[in-house]
Amino acid sequence: MTAADDHNDDVPLAGEYALHLLDADERSAFEDRLNKEPALRLIVAEWNADFVVLSDDIEPVTPPAQVKAKIDTLLFADPKKPRAGWSIWRLMAGAGAALVLGLAVLVVVPPGDETIAFTPRFAANIAAEDQSLVVRASYSPEAGVLRIDQLAGTARPGRVLELWLIAEGAAAPVSLGVLPDQASTDITLPDALVDQIDGGTLAISDEPIGGSTTGAPTGDVLAAGAVISI
Amino acid sequence: MTTRDEVENLIARVGLGDRVAFSALYDATSAKLFGVCLRILNDRAEAEDALQEVFVKIWQKADTYAANGYSPMTWLITLARNLAIDRLRMRKAGSVDIDEVYDLADSGPTPEAAALASSERKQIDGCLDELKPDRADAVRGAYLDGYSYNELAARYDVPLNTMRTWLRRSLINLKDCLTR
Repeated sequence: MTAADDHNDDVPLAGEYALHLLDADERSAFEDRLNKEPALRLIVAEWNADFVVLSDDIEPVTPPAQVKAKIDTLLFADPKKPRAGWSIWRLMAGAGAALVLGLAVLVVVPPGDETIAFTPRFAANIAAEDQSLVVRASYSPEAGVLRIDQLAGTARPGRVLELWLIAEGAAAPVSLGVLPDQASTDITLPDALVDQIDGGTLAISDEPIGGSTTGAPTGDVLAAGAVISI
Repeated sequence: MTTRDEVENLIARVGLGDRVAFSALYDATSAKLFGVCLRILNDRAEAEDALQEVFVKIWQKADTYAANGYSPMTWLITLARNLAIDRLRMRKAGSVDIDEVYDLADSGPTPEAAALASSERKQIDGCLDELKPDRADAVRGAYLDGYSYNELAARYDVPLNTMRTWLRRSLINLKDCLTR
């Protein structure tokens, strides 16, 4: 006996629903019933369990590392709990506004300085959700420098922090190097990466001394943040 | 290989807000779920976005998992498959392109239909085999390619209402077989 036996007309309907074959009106009427009828939910669950076997032949494909970094950013980088329907872009825009305020205090360029001024045009707040690691990155295209300020947190004993750029749409993160154990570091970006900063994500992973030997992060991604134009 | 119990345990811990468990669940299941998204969307960038959405949903909904009566991988794969199909529908909604429908009609049966392994299968393959081949393919196409009734009708060159009748009857026969 299954729950389906008493609901013969509902069996194909629930199957159509599980296959996503109902049109918008039919679907919404069916979902109204689903909310009220546990027996109907059971029929749908049975269909889903039957159909899922059809996915057995689908080969697993390892997703690129930046997907997990983006998920972590989306879920954990913002202190506010993300609400359903919020896009990552909206969260980032919110973070961006906060960042601009922060940088207004940070950036001090003496007037008349003859060296090329460090004028950040892009910035990222690379932070673990619990704020155990907070690194601010700012990039000045004129100076050609990515400035890294380590505001909180250090590498674990016997480990190092490695910085990665995940360019928008790129298949894999590119290492920007191991962060030295100091409060502030200036990194000169390779020319090839200069154009990829905008819209990218910066992430920090936990790596063995000397950094990842594989060209990809091998340890946990501890913190990530989107690069925004300021 | 992560067992069913381990995945179930990870989902339960994710439901309690455990981020270590969330990362472990991602490591254990993301490749399969990404495969499903890729299979349906056939576009890497879109599949990555879909996978992202899948894991956000998992984080948000894991606390309701225990009550819903699904086995863990069925829950995860169904979530991924449904989100990917919703994206596919949104993509198609903008362009009701008749050429696209004809392209689908030309593409022939899915490779899966020809390459189904015989062992380690639950009954559904045996039961699909009891249907006429094109009707079994229609069910697989709806599940694995997200074909709508309109697309299925074009693919099999039958009127829309005929397609609906076919498919509903196929589902009734399928369920009869599955519950025998």
